[in-house]
Amino acid sequence: MTALKREIREIVREEPFMRGRILAVLAEGPHTVPEIAEAIGRPANEAMYWVMGMRRYGWVREVKEAAVDGYFRYQAVAREQRP
Amino acid sequence: MTDYDALVVGSGIAGMESALKLGDMGYKVLLVEKEASVGGRMILLSKVFPTLDCASCISTPKMAASIHHPNVTALTYTEVDGISRDGAGTFKATIRRKPRFVDEAACTGCQLCETACTVAVPDQFNADMVARRAAYIAFPQAVPKKAVLERAGTSPCTYTCPAGIKAHGYVSLIRSGEYEKAFQLVLEATPLVGTLGRACYAPCEGECARGSLEGTLPIRRLKRFAADRHYEAIDGPGVEVPPANGKGVAVVGSGPAGLTAAWQLARRGYRVKIFEAAPVAGGFLRLAIPAYRLPAEVVDHDISNVTAVGVEIATDSPVTDLEALRRDGFDAVLVATGTPLSTSLNVPGEKLDGVVSGLQFLRATRLGSAADLTSKRVVVVGGGNVAMDAARTAVRFNAAETTVAYRRGREEMPAHKAEIDDAERDRVRFLFQVGPVEVVGDAAGHVTGLRCQRMALGKPDASGRRRPEPIKGSEFVLLCDTVLVAIGMAPEGSAFGGRSASNTNGTLVADPRTLQTAVPHIFAAGDVATGASDITRAVGQGRRAAHMIDRWLKGEPLAGFEMDDVLPVADKTKVLARQTRYTHSTALDQATDTTAPRPDFAEIEAPMTEAEALAGSSDCLDCGVCSECQECVTACPSDAIHLDMREQIQEVSVGAVVVATGYKLFAADAKPEYGFGRYKNVITGMQMDRLLAPTRPYNTVLRPGDGKVPERIAFILCTGSRDETVGNPLCSRFCCMYSIKQNQLIMGALPLAEVTVHYMDIRAPGKRYDEFYEGAKSMGATYVKGRVAKITEKDDGNLVLRYEDIEHGGALVEAEYDMVVLAVGVQPNREVDRLFSGDDLALDAYDYVAEPNEDMDPGRTSIPGVFVAGAASGAKDITDSILHAGAAAAQVAAHLESLKVPA
Repeated sequence: MTALKREIREIVREEPFMRGRILAVLAEGPHTVPEIAEAIGRPANEAMYWVMGMRRYGWVREVKEAAVDGYFRYQAVAREQRP
Repeated sequence: MTDYDALVVGSGIAGMESALKLGDMGYKVLLVEKEASVGGRMILLSKVFPTLDCASCISTPKMAASIHHPNVTALTYTEVDGISRDGAGTFKATIRRKPRFVDEAACTGCQLCETACTVAVPDQFNADMVARRAAYIAFPQAVPKKAVLERAGTSPCTYTCPAGIKAHGYVSLIRSGEYEKAFQLVLEATPLVGTLGRACYAPCEGECARGSLEGTLPIRRLKRFAADRHYEAIDGPGVEVPPANGKGVAVVGSGPAGLTAAWQLARRGYRVKIFEAAPVAGGFLRLAIPAYRLPAEVVDHDISNVTAVGVEIATDSPVTDLEALRRDGFDAVLVATGTPLSTSLNVPGEKLDGVVSGLQFLRATRLGSAADLTSKRVVVVGGGNVAMDAARTAVRFNAAETTVAYRRGREEMPAHKAEIDDAERDRVRFLFQVGPVEVVGDAAGHVTGLRCQRMALGKPDASGRRRPEPIKGSEFVLLCDTVLVAIGMAPEGSAFGGRSASNTNGTLVADPRTLQTAVPHIFAAGDVATGASDITRAVGQGRRAAHMIDRWLKGEPLAGFEMDDVLPVADKTKVLARQTRYTHSTALDQATDTTAPRPDFAEIEAPMTEAEALAGSSDCLDCGVCSECQECVTACPSDAIHLDMREQIQEVSVGAVVVATGYKLFAADAKPEYGFGRYKNVITGMQMDRLLAPTRPYNTVLRPGDGKVPERIAFILCTGSRDETVGNPLCSRFCCMYSIKQNQLIMGALPLAEVTVHYMDIRAPGKRYDEFYEGAKSMGATYVKGRVAKITEKDDGNLVLRYEDIEHGGALVEAEYDMVVLAVGVQPNREVDRLFSGDDLALDAYDYVAEPNEDMDPGRTSIPGVFVAGAASGAKDITDSILHAGAAAAQVAAHLESLKVPA
């Protein structure tokens, strides 16, 4: 049994706050969601919300190659290429 | 004569179909949709069964037609509040158009507002699998493709700020890392960002919804953080100086009200000159509030904002003739001279050497001319903020003992609680319920003590505080060398002359709303008009005065408008009810550390680190949802954002009503044995449809727990349907088929994935449905008969299903999957209950809208003239919904035509 999930609204609300930390991780290169989660010390399901929210609004995008070990890697989008 | 022939409530596929069919027949139709787009659920699906047509591709033409049909008026983001039948057999409907806060005509759907928005909320159009923004367009194919700002009122922190600062806005900007924008947002209200970041009494924090959890956000300190960051990097406000408008305003007094008014007026193009009687600008900011609370350089930075936009400040320039300013070319005058005079004790001995007003003492301290108090015994008389500042300053001048004597109790003290607490930490002694009777002196005229008498607290007086009443025979002498008098403050009114009337307390008479005095070109703001208050209220007064002066000078009326037309305050109870549980963060310790042996005049409160600021701001609950950070307003190239929009109520008469309110999905967490909401990789069928849709929330089908591409996926059919344990014995009719559709789509998207369906029995009775089912099996989907009893979650997020394998001897089996999809059933939409008054819209035994003769007369309800279309009357797939909606349209036409036939 894993730790109790936090409520979605609470997790989602933190996306703007977590953005900087995730971009700092991705500054080192593309990472999978579990790798990002480990780097920022937060659960992977929460990192998933933040990464996908950032992807939606143009902060990150997936590396197009096939998933490694079942996971896609995500990379930061250059500031000038963001919406 | 009715406004419309028919009202259609709900714009899902059934509502659209009924509206379009009626429109095609020539009837005038009002189509009302509560969401921001027409389309209902179908537009959110991936594909439809059994054709695997793209749901978007076949929905969007109907959606566009619904909006553009010449006979259909479609109102989105609109609610029907009530419908009642009148005597003529027609209906009156109350329609409530919810404010989008976006001008639909101007909005181009560019989504720049959404990209700029700083508030993230769960996206209901993506089944809560990803965030959207408070400013949003419902989904990419939305019709109309117009933005909406989600607002639930004004956030309490912003609502309560007397200075008009958008507190929620700057908190939201800081958590987004936009520190300079946060500074600029505060600048919109006042130039005193650094000052208020330190010396504001923070009423915002008193209203913070987080306060009822682990504690308020450090809202004031976040403002200071933004100011500190700005002043570290930028000299001045970093704003452009506007072109001059040719008019001038004189501001008398350079305290918080005067500086704020000058700033606001200068930014509107006025030539502004501040006349300050003291040798330095800033009023109480420089001459009363001690440096340990508000360093001089901070005030200097804030004042440099004002001078940077062209305001001239003349110090040592007392104004004795307001009228002369008019002659000097100023078109208007603002008096903002504060309350520089101290109220006297009116007791014998007050003229003795050693009796000083608290204000004089603080002023002398800031000007470097205060008397030495080393080893002196100091008594401060009073219980307000000036008394606390004087006492704490005396401590810093090495007084041997500092005592505050106050005639009421601690609870009645007008000083802010934080100031009292800090004074206690500075080892100030408090004597409560004692009043001065006489200042005692020696032969040389020096103070030797303060004769006091004890007080009892009687009934509350006009201030609401309990009245102090002397106790006979209780007098005693408090030995001391210095008495600092801080029992009240009053304006200095010599400049008012005979031109402007004063109140009995010396304040200038001005209209409390317009701040205009009896002399039209003279306005008064701040403590000189209101009596002693605090710097935050004075800032609000200055801002208001500037607004009123601007209107007056432009010849605009000062009545008939609201300066800050804000939404009602967000209900904190409702805010907290958005979540069933909260993770408590570690609230920042806001207490200051004054444990040093002898406090000095260095600033006490440490600045926030960036990490503290981010953590502190991230706890914000977004009470009003939209933070009013103004990012969308700035980003919108069409000037389409209008935060002053308000809801509009209208009454319409209609000949008939079509109820097309659809259904609700079963709440999957009502089956706790399946772990939805607790297990990270258990999702609903609707969520899987979103993952398979072209506008999906992720880049492909991924499990939400960690982003892994799932290899083994299980479906559990009949979740919440055909299930007496959850009160729903009905089959939901389309769960089998949408699951089979998803099976096929998954195997197409993830060729290596194994798909297993746990079912009771497959219901595929429609045209080509069974062939569709067989097709899924031939593609490799496995169908296991037997109800799943329980799911458990492993540490790696995988899920173990325990079930009885009926077709293989009934053995109890456990199987492990990466991801589980719950094929949730449907439930009636009970919102129809509140639609009708006067007539009861009958519901069937399962709470769907009843069709009393559904076999022979489908679409008719219990109310003549009211019809039902689609799943509002029971679970239907898309094809059946469209057929039913067509039948309802025909029923409406027959009804309307029958009304034309003479009885």
